Amino acid sequence: MNDPLPLAAGSPSWDWLIQDDRVHRTIYTDPSIFAREMNNIFAATWVYLLHESELPEPGDFRRAWMGTRELIVTRDEARALHVFANRCSHRGATVCREPGGKASSFTCPYHGWKYDNRGQLFGIPGKTAYGAEFKARDMHLARPAQVALYKGFVFATLNPDAPPLETHLGAAARFLDEWIEHQGGADNIVVGGAQRFHLECNWKMVFDNAGDGYHVPFSHQSLLQMTNARYGGGDMSYFADADRSRMKLYALGNGHTVIDQRPDMYGNSAWEQQRPQPGREVFEAHVRATVAEADAKRVLESAVGAGMNLNIFPNLLLIGNQIQVIQPLNAGGTTMHWHATRRRDADDALNTMRMRTQEDFPIMGEMDDAGNFEECHRGLVNFPEDEWIDISRHHETGQDVADEEGRIVGPVTSELHLRAYYAQWKRLMAAEPTLRASKSRIAR
Amino acid sequence: MKNDTATAASAAPRYQPASNYVDDAFYGWLNEVSLDLDAVTTQRTGRPDAALAAEIERLLTVESRLLDQHAYAEWLDLYTPECAYWIPATRPAGDPRAQITLEFHDRRRLLDRVARLGTGLAYSQLPASRTARQLSGLEIWASPGRSDEWRVRCNFLMAESRAGKRRVLGGWYGFVVRRVGDALRLAFKQVNLLDPDEPQGNNSFFL
Ligand code: FES
Ligand SMILES: [Fe+2]
Repeated sequence: MNDPLPLAAGSPSWDWLIQDDRVHRTIYTDPSIFAREMNNIFAATWVYLLHESELPEPGDFRRAWMGTRELIVTRDEARALHVFANRCSHRGATVCREPGGKASSFTCPYHGWKYDNRGQLFGIPGKTAYGAEFKARDMHLARPAQVALYKGFVFATLNPDAPPLETHLGAAARFLDEWIEHQGGADNIVVGGAQRFHLECNWKMVFDNAGDGYHVPFSHQSLLQMTNARYGGGDMSYFADADRSRMKLYALGNGHTVIDQRPDMYGNSAWEQQRPQPGREVFEAHVRATVAEADAKRVLESAVGAGMNLNIFPNLLLIGNQIQVIQPLNAGGTTMHWHATRRRDADDALNTMRMRTQEDFPIMGEMDDAGNFEECHRGLVNFPEDEWIDISRHHETGQDVADEEGRIVGPVTSELHLRAYYAQWKRLMAAEPTLRASKSRIAR
Repeated sequence: MKNDTATAASAAPRYQPASNYVDDAFYGWLNEVSLDLDAVTTQRTGRPDAALAAEIERLLTVESRLLDQHAYAEWLDLYTPECAYWIPATRPAGDPRAQITLEFHDRRRLLDRVARLGTGLAYSQLPASRTARQLSGLEIWASPGRSDEWRVRCNFLMAESRAGKRRVLGGWYGFVVRRVGDALRLAFKQVNLLDPDEPQGNNSFFL
């Protein structure tokens, strides 16, 4: 109820910064707010780390992030997953300097302390120099309070009081299930590389856009115009008059939202609407020759995106067939990871087509989005007297309505997405969560 | 409407130019070329004579300059109809059939990209990136078993300036150059950035 820490005494309250129909610029630009976000959001709620398929074999490891906290995720010889901090228990050096690979242990390059691939300390050079007090301390690599999986998606939080992951996902789980179903089921998904982008803007610029069905005909006008001129229309052209389309935006609780494009994208044939990717003709001929006619549409459409923009607050975005992860760096810097997926049950032709499809939007559209995010950030910084960001689209039209399942459904251009996730953001930022990491021995 | 389009498609392909050449054999060839371009070797067989080497070097110089000039139609004219442009997302390059790339285009998608930039509404290139490329360390050798085709590898350093920000991009290019009639044409360009696995900035022009 008081002014939030670490804002100075007498500074504004969260209720003033986050209003129903507008938010204050400083939540994007102020380093002290960013620092609090790294605790209250990127540590105190469930944060997506990686997909299980990125660690297929025992001994595999990969670097991952909870906001600015760097972690190592491993799969041990018994196939169990482990998550621990990339921070030596001795004097703090990172113990792992590679983005990923295979390792049965991690030796700190500074003084040679050795940790197994569960993050357990097992070797200290010159150990006789240490006494009883030291030996009584927990010196294993620090582990987040909770780690949990949902159908192959690995999440962690430092908050021991965070509700179970499934509770946190809530109504978003059903859409995540449908996304997984489009990929042929949880065990069928294999991450096949990543495209990574650096953006000079606050991470929320990315999250803002993830549920923005308003910007498409303007930000992506070049893409729509090109597609129209060369191919007589296609993919995404249904956004031109989006409020009259069959697409819907859902606020799913806990800051999660989804734009469901499927009624329009899959209304006729998503394959027919798709821009022609390299090798389209060869792939289509291959499918028609090898797949029963009744199944051909389903297989062709598996090369196409799932038709949703599913946004799991705060850092997981499922877009098309890609798993997008937001990594905040500082108030004005963000890394985006676009993980591509292939299907275990697919032949090479289908997986190849999926790769070419997943490359299309990043270079044809995302670059224009990224430019706008950066210019948004620049605009907020460069004229502080203009304080507010308007998020009121459809706030006063009465078109955002609660449905029987407790979700709020709105027109696809509604800024309901922002209003919904900012309500969650405010709850989390106003809280005083417990954050805990354990350095104790893992019970076997 | 939709059905009309589909019917028309069977008469004259809706997607022009057709991309029938991007098949498994084509990917296999690209992978073979990619491995050869990056081979650790001191001995390349089939080095061109001085006149041919000079002709190929001129072609690469023009290719670079046309990109620096944003003359994309003229730039694409340097390529064969069945060409590929590939920016791997890893170093060394993986198999584009199994791994995502930063970019992988056939001629049709290159034309899409050129047309998109040409709308004047591609905001990531408003203003446009100004670039200056330096090529060095040129190596040229004949494609195995062919007298009309050569493989080329060289380093590049690209200064870029856009909207008041300067960057330097670097790495190496691989090319396949083919004799088509009287002219030399490019059948393939591979852009191997120094850091394709690290977060990239705004590379929405052509590398
Ligand atoms: S900091 Fe790691 S062993 Fe000293
Ligand atoms: Fe967009």
